[in-house]
Amino acid sequence: MKSGVSLNNIYKPSEDVVAREVAGEFIVIPIASGVGDLEDEIFSLNESGKSIWDKLSADKSLRDVALELSEEFEAPLEKIEKDCVGLIQELLKRKIVVNQGNN
Amino acid sequence: MANFVNSLPLPEFPLWEKLEKGRRLASFDLEITARCNNNCRHCYINLPADDADAKSKELTFGQIKDIVEEAVSLGALWCLITGGEPLLREDFFDIYLYIKKKGLLVSVFTNAALITDEHIRFFRKYPPRDIEVTVYGATKKTYERLTRKDGSFDVFTRGLKLLLEGGIKVRFKAMALRSNVHELPQISSFCRERTKDYFRFDPFLHLRFDGNKKRNKEIKFERLTPEEIVAIEQADSERHNALEKNCDKLIIKDAAHINCNHLFHCGTGNDSFTVSYDGFFRLCSSLWHPDCVYDLKRGRLAEAWQDFIPKVWDMRSNRKEFLEKCRKCPIINLCIWCPAQSHLETGKLDEPVEYFCKVAHARAEALAGKNMPRKLKLI
Repeated sequence: MKSGVSLNNIYKPSEDVVAREVAGEFIVIPIASGVGDLEDEIFSLNESGKSIWDKLSADKSLRDVALELSEEFEAPLEKIEKDCVGLIQELLKRKIVVNQGNN
Repeated sequence: MANFVNSLPLPEFPLWEKLEKGRRLASFDLEITARCNNNCRHCYINLPADDADAKSKELTFGQIKDIVEEAVSLGALWCLITGGEPLLREDFFDIYLYIKKKGLLVSVFTNAALITDEHIRFFRKYPPRDIEVTVYGATKKTYERLTRKDGSFDVFTRGLKLLLEGGIKVRFKAMALRSNVHELPQISSFCRERTKDYFRFDPFLHLRFDGNKKRNKEIKFERLTPEEIVAIEQADSERHNALEKNCDKLIIKDAAHINCNHLFHCGTGNDSFTVSYDGFFRLCSSLWHPDCVYDLKRGRLAEAWQDFIPKVWDMRSNRKEFLEKCRKCPIINLCIWCPAQSHLETGKLDEPVEYFCKVAHARAEALAGKNMPRKLKLI
């Protein structure tokens, strides 16, 4: 895939970040160095991003995540898959998620 | 493509706006020990590094974990680890890492003397939001006159060098007192040469939390005169400009209408709290009046935050001197006076403190000059 993100792969949150809800914002805080590009930076995920994030786990491919969300939100699978790939691209770039391959 | 992730520098995070709109826990200070490797003349808290009694009273790692866990569930985002000298705790790394792993931003106050290569490796792997180092003097003679510890300047400079060369974000602060005031310009240069971040100095020496009379006498001796405080503030253009810029907010020309008898008007306990080394919750670090502290070893943080703080906020005073002097004072915002400081100075929460009053007036005079409210000039 062009983006480097494959729906067949498993992506899970890095152990070097903590995700929390603070003051109504869903934020991701780096624990260890090497996450993110800038000093003094935290990340917030919008509602779609949070829905995808909540489904990421060690035993689920991105396709499975998209399928679950498509059923849950009764939205077209193709659109959800595109959103999932978009989010993972952004998170991978910042090392907030890690690629577990396609076990 | 939709934008799912916003990356924001911390100061731009919307939490700060939300905090201004209502009561919400943002940060807390953890004094993990009162012990210190130095014995600074002006220190309001330090006990000897080998004080077995103080050590035995310190919160355990388990107790600290419980407090942090609850603070996180209450929404805290930021934790300051302080002391005493926090690096004296043998479990400092465990405490720090636990707090980081709960998703809190962590700052550390230290004198840098105990920094080792191991700390540098650790902080590089798990970066603090910042480390604030106190600089007591720019020369060995002055530094050690303050710390009363031979060799402390050398270990401080060595530790600081390790931090800076290790690329750890360091901020500086200095206390301005009798024993180092002659060296303040050099201290300022020392700090500003070593950080792009801010440097601040504080001429307001607090009395001891433990009420130690001998130590309080020493602290009072170290306090600068009002004129000296004004002079050093004016010599620091950054500080003077900030005071001048906010002059209208700092001097309330007509305060005569203020007649509320609530003690607390400072916002304390609105978005933060402090926990002492032995588990006492306070609304701010200086507020030690027995009616204003809550023992976390016997209760829960959530109760302290939700139920206890409003009770403190509701405390009132009908003491005439307080109502007519401090409560209505047009320059209260230039004064260090607050119920907490009043208690440390006088044992009462509502007693004016002559030294603070003189400092505030000297600051107001320097700022407003001829524009001082007429009534104020007569006080």
